[in-house]
Amino acid sequence: MTWKRETDEIERRRELALNQGGEAAIAKQHSQNRLTIRERIEKLIDPGSLEEMGPAAGTPVYDENGVLTGLDPANFVLGFGKVGGRRIVVGGEDFTLRGGSPSAAGLRKSVYAEELAVQYRLPLVRLHEGSGGSVGGTGGKGSSLPSPVNAPARFRSVAQAMGTVPVASAALGAVAGLPAGRLVASHFSVMSKSTAQILTAGPAVVARAMGEQKTKDELGGWKVHTKNGTVDNGAEDEASCIAEIRRFLSYMPDNIYQLAPVINCDDPVDRCDEHLIEVVPRNRRQAFDMRSIIASVVDRESFFEMGRGYGRSQITGLARLNGQTVGVWANDGKFLAGSMTADGAHKARRFMELCETFSFPIVSLVDEPGFMIGSQAEREATIRHGASAVLTAALTTVPWVSVMIRRSFGVAQAAHYGPDGYVIAWPSAESGPLPVEGGVAVAFRREIEAAPDPDARRRELEEQLAAKQSPFPRAEALGVHDLIDPRQTRPELCRWLDRVQPLLPSLLGPTAFSIRP
Amino acid sequence: MTKVELETGGSVWKMLVKPGDQVAQGDTLFILEVMKMEVPYPAPISGEVSATHIAEGDAVEEDQLAVEISP
Repeated sequence: MTWKRETDEIERRRELALNQGGEAAIAKQHSQNRLTIRERIEKLIDPGSLEEMGPAAGTPVYDENGVLTGLDPANFVLGFGKVGGRRIVVGGEDFTLRGGSPSAAGLRKSVYAEELAVQYRLPLVRLHEGSGGSVGGTGGKGSSLPSPVNAPARFRSVAQAMGTVPVASAALGAVAGLPAGRLVASHFSVMSKSTAQILTAGPAVVARAMGEQKTKDELGGWKVHTKNGTVDNGAEDEASCIAEIRRFLSYMPDNIYQLAPVINCDDPVDRCDEHLIEVVPRNRRQAFDMRSIIASVVDRESFFEMGRGYGRSQITGLARLNGQTVGVWANDGKFLAGSMTADGAHKARRFMELCETFSFPIVSLVDEPGFMIGSQAEREATIRHGASAVLTAALTTVPWVSVMIRRSFGVAQAAHYGPDGYVIAWPSAESGPLPVEGGVAVAFRREIEAAPDPDARRRELEEQLAAKQSPFPRAEALGVHDLIDPRQTRPELCRWLDRVQPLLPSLLGPTAFSIRP
Repeated sequence: MTKVELETGGSVWKMLVKPGDQVAQGDTLFILEVMKMEVPYPAPISGEVSATHIAEGDAVEEDQLAVEISP
């Protein structure tokens, strides 16, 4: 007597689970240019590396004789897999079943994703397409009792995951309700421009509650959500979203108790790009291309920008110096002069929190004219969001290097320098309480008005004061560690990283603050 | 037809092209003034300027259509 009958039954159930929502539902998914969750996971992970958790979970269907005739699989697929040889936890809703709205077993598996990642201390990737609960409930056939008061708080593990392991999420179709809330609770999120929308509530609910008639894309397409920071990045399609997640993970350690992997670097640490000596125009009104500076100083092709579409006066991303992960934060003078806007401050704060959580040294390339001003900026509470960024910088414990590229003014500039940071300045650096152009007109108003040629007097005063804001007096007073030839920036940064490297292991583990959405 | 749209509001400081001009990719089409900074807009492609929708001195807004270029 063997257990053959039961092992056959196990096999049959496995096959039923792999059928997902059935041929018709899968064909419909494909006809809308969307992959199924199992195909998505295959694209993300190394071939054959899936170790599924709870594949047998689902809602059984019995005939009148009590014989199992079918199994509606849990509509959330969950498991371990490997990305570039490193194990992760991966999960996502199965949209071919109930449109991704959680079934009883699907909900159990989905909330288990964060717990598994925290327990095993592994990066978590969520591939979302689905909605939240339905007024009809989860459709479970068993007990219909609601959760007891002492059930674990559902979002505690979501928050814990963000403080323990890298979390990356993609929106690959319509994502609403609970999946949308988890999508944004990530260190990196990306949405597919061609197939995804992110909705707090969909068009029908909005029409009923608000009387607003909008399509899914108008409400929550990529044009809305890459510009407001709901997601960090937009990518053309599902495949490019998954490629971005793989790239993000390559910079990350497995958890906060480890340092990020160091890869072989074939880009010489003493490379000096010639264009850096002329990249900042002498005419102080002319903007320059900060991204070309970033590209010149970090390892070739290693800059991975996050959040390019929002808070655009600030540039944030991960990069490598001599093969090691660093966070890079810079101003984009081409966008609102690089000033600290409310959304730019929010983006910068989150970015510093990411670096603090995972012990990434921060490279700050400074061209900060100050907080954004004007009535819109006041309405957006710029000073409050800005001060939040400034205080976050002050509380970080990771090593910083700040390169004064050009302007460094006002309260806002303080956000660009970490405690005990290493500070070097280019010859083009200018700093002070506020830029001369604004300051002179205010401080010398009477003198300018009384002059025979007020405009000429104003320009004269501006030139005199601009000379005082040069970096040479600052260096004489040890106000910077050194003045450097801009072409020497990369070697200088690599030497700095080599000096601070031994400090990093002592920073590992939980931090005083981590990161929240 | 390639459209050049404005990334920010500001004012148009200098228009360097007019309809009918030939431009090479990277040539500056116009310069905005934003927060006292000059922000040049380069041609995304080579071709002929088929229309301009902004003029020097205009106060302009984010996403506004500025120039159209035919390859």
